[in-house]
Amino acid sequence: MAESICRALRDGALEGELAPALTIKDSVASPFALQVFSHVLSQLFSSILAGKSQSRGLVVVSFSRSPSFYLDLLKNKGTDIASSNKQIQILDCYSDPLGWKDQLAGSRNFTALSNEVLVSSTAIVFREVKHMDKLYNSIIELGKGLVGGGKIRFSIAIDSTDLHDYLMIPCRSCLLSDQISSIFWLLHSDLHEARVTAVLEYLSSIVASLEPSHQLANGQRGDLENFSLIKHNSKKGKFHVRFKKRNGRSEEVHIDSQLSTLHLCHLKEQLIRVLCQRKIDVDWGRKQQLLKELGLKEQMDAPSCAGCKSLS
Amino acid sequence: MAAAKTRTSTFSRNLSTAAPSHGPGLKCGPNGTVFLSSGIPDLDKILGGGFPLGSLVMVMEDAEAPHHMLLLRNFMAQGLVLGQPLLYSSPARDPRGFLGTLPSPAASKDDKSQERDPDQEKGLRIAWQYKKYFGESQLDGQRDSKHEYSNEFDLRKPLERHFINGPRIDCVSIQDCPDLSTLRDRCATFLSQFPRNDGSISCAGRIAIQSFCAPQCAYSNMEWDMLSFIRYLKSMVRSSNSVAIITFPPSLLSPSFCKRWQHMADTLLSVKAIQDEDKELAQLLTGYQDMVGFLNVHKVARINTQVPVILEATTFSIKLQKRRYLVLECLNQAPVDGSSGTSYGTSGGWSSSSKTGNLDF
Repeated sequence: MAESICRALRDGALEGELAPALTIKDSVASPFALQVFSHVLSQLFSSILAGKSQSRGLVVVSFSRSPSFYLDLLKNKGTDIASSNKQIQILDCYSDPLGWKDQLAGSRNFTALSNEVLVSSTAIVFREVKHMDKLYNSIIELGKGLVGGGKIRFSIAIDSTDLHDYLMIPCRSCLLSDQISSIFWLLHSDLHEARVTAVLEYLSSIVASLEPSHQLANGQRGDLENFSLIKHNSKKGKFHVRFKKRNGRSEEVHIDSQLSTLHLCHLKEQLIRVLCQRKIDVDWGRKQQLLKELGLKEQMDAPSCAGCKSLS
Repeated sequence: MAAAKTRTSTFSRNLSTAAPSHGPGLKCGPNGTVFLSSGIPDLDKILGGGFPLGSLVMVMEDAEAPHHMLLLRNFMAQGLVLGQPLLYSSPARDPRGFLGTLPSPAASKDDKSQERDPDQEKGLRIAWQYKKYFGESQLDGQRDSKHEYSNEFDLRKPLERHFINGPRIDCVSIQDCPDLSTLRDRCATFLSQFPRNDGSISCAGRIAIQSFCAPQCAYSNMEWDMLSFIRYLKSMVRSSNSVAIITFPPSLLSPSFCKRWQHMADTLLSVKAIQDEDKELAQLLTGYQDMVGFLNVHKVARINTQVPVILEATTFSIKLQKRRYLVLECLNQAPVDGSSGTSYGTSGGWSSSSKTGNLDF
């Protein structure tokens, strides 16, 4: 499943169509979106380096993690950052998003942290996160700096939208730009109003959501009964992906997996195994619900229905 | 195919004088209303003739699938083919580009209807679907006059250039508009061409507004402004000879505004995506493989009357026959055969659990 997501981002945008946009969504009950985001990021970057993707450069907009996190991540995956300067740029909205350190430095001779200097060739500090237009322009300029003008495209990764609800504005503007090959963002659904989540899902062509494998009874964490569920949820979760297809049908895949160790490359094998093993039983309750939604009357009573499991 | 049962009660208006003749693409309906076609013959039948002039149609989109575009394409193409002026607005930068995707009228309706029959399985499947043929046989005599009112559209064939480059087509982009005043003025200018007065109607207009509250539009946060625009448009359309259709994604509105917008509509439809490879749906419904989505009819416009429309069915499947022709069909539940454990048209999901015991009577 993760492979098909990475493939969709790698293939990029067709002429005259919007670029594929991925939303990675999680909640406090299953906070695994960062692992998925990191995996997708490293996969996309390796295909960019190998020349296998439509996009020729990657701009990472980092809000909740420092640029060095991403550089270390890519280094651990085996990519040589020093030589790949021309293919990745990080817009650092983590170190000083509102320009406070700058103001302090001006007034008190405050020296900047030394590690900022190390990453300065690939990361550019951005200090005006409140201004959406400037943010959007900086992202596009960084991208153009990587790939030049013309028809060559680049990809954008936005690491967290939780800083500001209005971040959906640059997300939307980036998506409409002609030079984008693909774009993906990370969304913590608990931190936003439902409308913001709905807008970002509306704009994306792929929505990958991480859900807990067991829903907690009443959402309260202090309960002893729920404790084992919480413990279980901290290691396992459901990875649920929705693709919006051009023919108007949407594809949904649902899989339980052990996400803490995050061997995402094994997800595909697990998925195939799960689907083969799964018996196709029609749950009577689900059938009633489906019939009701479709406005059809019940065809027959529950007990006489062949294949029905729950008999009173 | 569904046909709406129009209730003729003793209270229907008796038209003693001959009905005034109207321009092309218009049809008289009950209670003094005049219809224009939606561009989808099945939908016209479901709604009792078409969209009444002076009504506001709203379509609730599904963010997962672009089916509302299918409805819009047919609506707009029908208007252009009949020479009815069109105002189209969308959040794209260049809305005129969308006109290039409009479909052309299908070559010959007779060929198409004959080809439908071999597609159906013979034998017992017909027993379940006899209702469809029962309704269709009554329409044979009316095919010729129908072309002056509505056409079947071939989605794979683009509309000819001379229709798209006509003088009476206006396109508005709402992407960069900070507020709705531009759109409102354009609508007002457009609708002033079709004032309503007693007598024959020479020409009717069509307005199509796509994805009205899409996030690309700068005004998409201004919910009260959008609502007052819809109210304004509804009142202008009611006093003119035109039909306006607005599509919007309901998930992007707050629940109370979503309800308000739905109340504004004279005719309210919604489209829904269908899951690919949904085995439960495949077992429940016949013809699941050909379906691309669902259409729900929530409200049907009734102007000049207090008699409500009660439809036989409100949910229809959207199918693309031969990937060309848009058809709407009633949903038919797949028959379940308890004794043999297999159901028609699906691959035996039921059989696995019915092996434990056959039903003996």
